Amino acid sequence: MATQGPVIVLPGDQIDPSLIPSRPKKALKLGPGLRHIPPNELVPTVAGQLTTDHKKNSIWVEYNGGRYIPAVGDLVIGTVQRSAAEYFYVTLTDYTSNALLPQLAFEMATKKTRPNLNPGALVYARVCLANRHMDPELECVSPATGKADGLGPLNGGMLYDVSLGLARRLLMRKSLEDGKVAVLEELGAAGLAFETAVGRNGKVWVNSESVKTVLIVGRAIQETDEKNLSVDQQKKLVRKLIKEVS
Amino acid sequence: MTVNTEPQALISHLPKADGSATFSYAGYTVVGAVNGPIEVQRRDELPEEAAVDVIVRPAAGVGGTRERHLESLIQSTLRQIILVNNFPRTLIQVILQIIVAPENEYVNAKITQASSNLPILPALLQTAILSLLSSTLPLTATLTSTALAIVPDQGGSNIVLNPTAREVEQSQSFHVFAFTSHNELILAESEGSFTMKEWDDVYARAYSQCCPPALSSDNDDAMIDDQRSAGSDLRHFTRSTMEQKIVSDLYWK
Repeated sequence: MATQGPVIVLPGDQIDPSLIPSRPKKALKLGPGLRHIPPNELVPTVAGQLTTDHKKNSIWVEYNGGRYIPAVGDLVIGTVQRSAAEYFYVTLTDYTSNALLPQLAFEMATKKTRPNLNPGALVYARVCLANRHMDPELECVSPATGKADGLGPLNGGMLYDVSLGLARRLLMRKSLEDGKVAVLEELGAAGLAFETAVGRNGKVWVNSESVKTVLIVGRAIQETDEKNLSVDQQKKLVRKLIKEVS
Repeated sequence: MTVNTEPQALISHLPKADGSATFSYAGYTVVGAVNGPIEVQRRDELPEEAAVDVIVRPAAGVGGTRERHLESLIQSTLRQIILVNNFPRTLIQVILQIIVAPENEYVNAKITQASSNLPILPALLQTAILSLLSSTLPLTATLTSTALAIVPDQGGSNIVLNPTAREVEQSQSFHVFAFTSHNELILAESEGSFTMKEWDDVYARAYSQCCPPALSSDNDDAMIDDQRSAGSDLRHFTRSTMEQKIVSDLYWK
């Protein structure tokens, strides 16, 4: 991609074969926004920027917006709607059918010590089954180790909605370098103590000892999202918010 | 009457909808919102594909048979380009609110409205496609739509592209065409009296308008700039609008 500017595709466009990474030994990996029509046609299905990773031999379309569609392995924040004998019914996005969270899919949960989640409770969970014909299934425990790894009920705090793009950037391993989000680091450096959880479904949960901090962090994240702030603008915003409140 | 000849659009401007667009062209302004995939009512549920629901709301008053007719035309067009098989047992809802429709200043507006449903169809389709692109629902292709009228002219007749309300009123026949970005005809609606020859001429004109040859499968930037002078080419318009939106969305890349 170094040779030219970003390649923008619309649904149904032809992809220039020279853009498709070709490593003979590895299978080509298709990410979101692409459709493979056998035998060898590759067609974008959404409008976005065609992105490739030659090291991983993968290709996908980068875009922002729309509704969250569950995919296996995503970390999401859900709201418990109701609980039944075996499952909690959890909402990931508004007006979609509920995801299922087994009551035993928590750390150290047994038939006798199962967590008690009331309607409205928030859970941080991983999608373990996503398939277009079935409701998605969630888990709050790693099936390999039996550890929670930070997943589970979220107590207290406040939930903010952000765009799917920002949620993805916040979840990046190097969110500052790759995703260009510095708000959380800046807020922490400014001396605020808070904890956050980011759901791939466009939700950010913020908790802190003081309500003021929760509001500052939430507003900073939402403003970054709405106004498409750059790293420098984010730093300025954090300074302004802290000055306003203190 | 002010008719803006250049198309204008706003993308993703409604915060609560999954995708939205406002489109104005040839005197029409339409706001579109798309939600989906969402939960569907049991009676509308389809076991193998998503149900597409189109709602058209008029600029004033409540919808009637005219809106139902437009809805059915748009619904059957859109469900061919949305990949409905990706979301079985769900609903994709498209809401199109007409904000401005050009008035025929020579005739009572109510009567002209009753006479023809079709003139607004291209604006509705174009808004729907921009809203769908904004909602990032998977599509097989985009589409462009155009309206043409055959207007009698000193013994002969003349094909008028994007006719005004007055020209529609005087026309012998009125036609709406939509083509996908693969240059395939996806919608053809006609009313009035016309011969097969006339229809063929109108079709050829619509094809050259909706499917500009130079750009058919090329997304070279220089090519787009050259074509822009050719007038309001809606396919390029859709592309350049979406390009702007994507670049501003991915400013962090």
